[in-house]
Amino acid sequence: MWYTVLKATWKQCYLHTVRYWFNMLSGVITLYIIFLMLFMGTKAIGAGAFNLGETLEGLFTGYVVWMIVLMGFQDLAWGITNEAQTGTLEQLYLSPVGYKWIGVFMQSCNMLLNLVLMAVIVILMALMTGQSVHLDVVSLVPLFIAAYLQANGLGFALAGLALIYKRISAFFQVVQFAVIGLLVLPWNRFPWAKYLPFTMARHLLQQVMMNGVRLWQFPLSHIGILLLVTAVSLGLGLALFSLAETKARARGLLGQY
Amino acid sequence: MERILDRGAVRDNPAEEAFLIVEHLRKTFKDRKQVVEAVKDISFSVGKGEMIGLLGPNGAGKTTTIKCVLGLVKADSGRIEVGGVDCLRRPREAARYMAAVLEGARNTYWRLTVWENIVFFAGIHGISKERGKDYFEYLLEVLKLKEKRNVEVRNLSSGFKQKTALACALAKMTPLVFLDEPTLGLDVESSYELREALKNLQANEKRTIVVSSHDMRVIQDVCSRVVIVSRGRVVVDRSIPELIGLFRSRSYKVVLTVNGASGGWSVDDIRRKFESLFPLSSSKATKDTLELSVTLRQPAEVYELVDFLKTTGASIETITQEEVDLERAFLEIVRRENGGCGTQS
Repeated sequence: MWYTVLKATWKQCYLHTVRYWFNMLSGVITLYIIFLMLFMGTKAIGAGAFNLGETLEGLFTGYVVWMIVLMGFQDLAWGITNEAQTGTLEQLYLSPVGYKWIGVFMQSCNMLLNLVLMAVIVILMALMTGQSVHLDVVSLVPLFIAAYLQANGLGFALAGLALIYKRISAFFQVVQFAVIGLLVLPWNRFPWAKYLPFTMARHLLQQVMMNGVRLWQFPLSHIGILLLVTAVSLGLGLALFSLAETKARARGLLGQY
Repeated sequence: MERILDRGAVRDNPAEEAFLIVEHLRKTFKDRKQVVEAVKDISFSVGKGEMIGLLGPNGAGKTTTIKCVLGLVKADSGRIEVGGVDCLRRPREAARYMAAVLEGARNTYWRLTVWENIVFFAGIHGISKERGKDYFEYLLEVLKLKEKRNVEVRNLSSGFKQKTALACALAKMTPLVFLDEPTLGLDVESSYELREALKNLQANEKRTIVVSSHDMRVIQDVCSRVVIVSRGRVVVDRSIPELIGLFRSRSYKVVLTVNGASGGWSVDDIRRKFESLFPLSSSKATKDTLELSVTLRQPAEVYELVDFLKTTGASIETITQEEVDLERAFLEIVRRENGGCGTQS
């Protein structure tokens, strides 16, 4: 049963990616162009500044993490909103394994696809900007997964809200910009910021990509904080989603859009 | 309120070898503004291999009942059992036995082909492509979807879209299937084809099917029994021939000549008195005639009708026993439940 459900879900995820390739490509190109403009603009304005190199490195990794976060929460939150709108969500709820597992299987497929996509984008970004980047796959993939799972936590929480409050797509857009705020919080002024989602992942990714630090060279406390924040984000997101699911069932909102 | 049919109309005993049992189901929706008692007390059962119609006017509680059984809406109280499994306590296990085509939803992915949809929805129910392949092919054949097999659903007509949704539900090979408004929005030909396919499948597979529809032709054509709900309660649970038979023996149309020779009673007086005496009635006046239609509550009421006609002094042109179909029976029941009668002029 579980293997069949996993296989069916992955096949569907793959087919949708193929059928909606144009949407995906246009999204990626837009993000890519915005990045180029930001990068070139920063370079032009900051020319001569003594710490420009550091700023550009920060912009590069910050943007990469922001894209990972967008991929991680948008697939989930928009996905569930679309499924509720089109009426397929209730059909997924009829599965004997339960919707949550179907959501997890779909996310695992999306994560793999996005991992490949991110690799391509990062290489393209590096080539276009001339920024030297350490592509240490063994160190980068676990950090990518951690950031992605944190974003999934946010995605589950927002999907839960979408189940109950329906038309909250404008709120999703606010959240995607609010994430930027988290990514630019400086640690030296706000030491507590490292306990917030995405910040530690972004710091470690920057160390790997820009300074060539290997995953096992990081202090254990940093890895510990990363794992803790990932577990709490995902756990909280799932708990909120479960709560919303129970409320939606009680109010008969699963298919009502 | 007195019911259209005697209390015996609601079956007290569950069907023999019942596969679906719903007992004293209750569901209230609450929000800040209002409280809606969607289901007040619904009980019925469906035998193994039986195809029944679940009928009722808008807001009667049909869809809520179906969704409670499917676990999509949480019931407040009551008991739901499918294949011996308690749906409220063991919803995952019960889900293995059920599939549904739900009203007003696409039910399928429009960017996938017919075949891809079937394989996906069967897959998330644990039926692998390898295991179900032959049956999926059979469904395509029965539902006349073979030529559309590799067409994306978004490019199909509404008839084919609906058939695809039906195929996806049936491909799960569950013993119980719910079809909520399966012919909604279909043209006459598509609706007929779908009905034929349903009858065909029912004859060959003996699945337990619950059809909810506003289209009485569909129900009369494919179901053996109807459960009629109104205002959150079951008001009738009978076989269709039995129900129609009851109404046939009680429905009359009387045409009176009213061209001034009626000796005292005005047309308005006759209509007013007639409709107050017989709640399930309607009247229609033309220039020279008055047409009275009535469904009697008891066969013996026919004497009261004759007495009434006699007192009006009007001359009777014709008295005919009306042909009744399920639609007429249903309308009479709903009107009676709402306590109304109708006047047309």
